[in-house]
Order: sequence, then structure tokens, then C-alpha cells
Amino acid sequence: MKIIGLIITVVTGALLFYAAGDFPAWSDPASPASTYLSPHFIEKTMEETSVPNIVTAVLADYRSFDTMFETAVIFSAGVVCFFLLRISRREDEEPETRYYRHVLTGVTIQLKEGHKMPPSADFERIDSMWTPPDLIIKTGCRLLIPFVQLFGLYVIAHGHHSPGGGFQGGVILGASVILLAISHDLRTAVRRMSEKLIGILCAAGVLIYACTGALCLLLKLNFLDYSALAGILHVDPITARSHGILMVEIGVGIAVLATMIWIYNNISSAGRYRQGL
Amino acid sequence: MDIMNIIVCVLLFSGLFFLTGGAVGILRFPDFYSRLHPAGKLDTLGSFLAMTAFALFNLHHFSLGALLTSLKILLIVVFIFLASPTATHGIVDAGVRAGLAPWTKGEKRR
Repeated sequence: MKIIGLIITVVTGALLFYAAGDFPAWSDPASPASTYLSPHFIEKTMEETSVPNIVTAVLADYRSFDTMFETAVIFSAGVVCFFLLRISRREDEEPETRYYRHVLTGVTIQLKEGHKMPPSADFERIDSMWTPPDLIIKTGCRLLIPFVQLFGLYVIAHGHHSPGGGFQGGVILGASVILLAISHDLRTAVRRMSEKLIGILCAAGVLIYACTGALCLLLKLNFLDYSALAGILHVDPITARSHGILMVEIGVGIAVLATMIWIYNNISSAGRYRQGL
Repeated sequence: MDIMNIIVCVLLFSGLFFLTGGAVGILRFPDFYSRLHPAGKLDTLGSFLAMTAFALFNLHHFSLGALLTSLKILLIVVFIFLASPTATHGIVDAGVRAGLAPWTKGEKRR
């Protein structure tokens, strides 16, 4: 089996190298990309989409279909991580031992054979590998996290004018929740963003993107041709393209945010959602 | 050469002095904990001085836009001030919890 895999890899690699010879030379001024595509993007982006940042316009408008499946790739990365790593409790396992810590005094109670404590404000549930989070780090991160999230939103919303967009902003937003998980513990972060919510958000991001495209289709233009949205948004078709870009960027941001947290939660706890590897 | 340029130069060079000191310290100090000391302290102070110099230099042609840019540069300073010492503290904390003993005089550097 390994040998077959090796042969397939070598043959595919050789074919790719053979095909690479047919590419136009590096920065060849006579290549199709340089003769009409790049000049079109550089000269016409502003009047066609009213987006000053050409990269954003190419990514989310001219090559929107490509970006939609990039988002789908990110979504599947999260889902694959979940299916490969997540270990849920089985029925035949012995009942769980739970630990509860009194928040004010730090006294920890152990409950054996699956007994539970009713939820209360005085006790928090902890894992057996739990270590007390450091006060300085906790306070520092508590100060920083809101600003990190604000900056993430700014990067998503300001993608039309400056470097940024859905992917980058989503990563920053995801990092803020991961920072919470690092500075406190995984249980705190999961309490803020449950596994179910993460899964729903992950799919919702891709759905927002695809639905924006389908909406254009319903309004009798091509898939992901945002000028169709002009009627709904009560703007001219060119501004509608700019707004359409923002809509899909938000979808991308949500998908990336959820995937980042999902992958971190599964990898850092080896799929058990408990503190410590 | 007006007074502003002199202030900017003084700030920039003192920032450079501390950053160089930090780099030398990271290379020369004997162990993990003492190497983190220049990394956490001198880099923060050095970037504070250098960034303040940038913010001042940016105000040469005064306008609302330039003021906004300067404020953003100062915001970077605030966040470095919060994040860098906290991160250093976190790394030291991890070292202590992992059981790494600090270096004492007479030992070999590691």
C-alpha cells in the first residue's frame, strides 16, 4: 500500500513538473495575465466595484467563486479535526469523577460515580489536571481581549480600504477566544463558546456566502454577481457590488473564527475537552 | 534644525540604546530566567521611546489626519506595554512550574 502511494506521488509530481514547463515565464510581459487581466483589474476596479483595495475586489468579487470554496476548505478542515480527534464518553466507561472548586476559598470537592452538583455561583467545575491560572496573566488578557476583538471587527469591515478582510479578521477574532482559553482554562472558553455554537457558526459562515450568491441567482443575474442586490439594498449596482463584498466577507469571518476555535479546542485537549494533554 | 527634531533624535537614539542593550542581554546572560529579563524590560522601554519619537516626527506637518496616525502609534505603545511584560511573566511562570531551577553564581552558563 505504501509503495502504491509512493508511485502515485512520484508520478503526479513528475506530471506537475512536466506541465510547469508550459507556464509563461516569470513576469513575462506578453503572457495573457499581464496583457489584459492585470491592466483590467488595475484600471477598472474602482469604477466597476467602487472598492479602493484591488486585492479585496479580485478576491471577493471577480474571483468570488474561488473564495467560496476556499471558505468551504476551511470549514472542512474544522470538521475533519472534529471527526478525527473528538472523543465523546462511551456508555461502557466507568462513571466520571467530577471535581468542583469553591471559587472564594479554593477548596475542591471530589464527587465519584457520576454524581453531579447543581449549578451554583459559588462552585466551578474543574478538571483533574487543573492548575490555578495566574492573576497577572488573567488580568492582562482580560484587558487585551476586548481590544483584540474590536481590531478583528475593524479588519473585517475595513477590508475594502486597507489590507484585511474576512480571513484575517476571522483569525484575529478566533485568536481572542483562544487567548481566553490559554489565560484561564479550556472550560471557561467552552462556557463562553460552546461546541454546538462553534459548529453552527462554522457552517453558518459558509452558508452566508453561498446564500449571497444564490440570492443574486434568484434576482435573475449570475451566481455571486452582486449588482443584482441593487434592488434590495436601494443603491446603484456599483455600490451594491461593494456591499456584496462586505456580506461575503462577514460570512468568511464567521467561518474562520469558528474553525480556529474548533481546531484549537480539539487539538489542545486531544479531543477530550479537558485541561491538559 | 528646530527643537522638535532634536527631541525626536534624542528619543530615537535612547530607544535604540535600550533595544541594543536588550539584544546584548539576551545573548550574554547565563540562563533562561535572566535572559527573559532584558527581553521583557528593555524591549518594552526601547519600543516605547522609539514609537514616541515616530509619533512626534509624524506631527511635523500638523493636521487632523497626522494627529490620528500619531494617536494610533501611541496605542501600539499602550498594547506593547500591556502585552510584553505579561507574556514574559507567563513564560517565567511556565519555567517555574516545569521545575527549572534558576542559575546561581559559580555555575556554568546554560
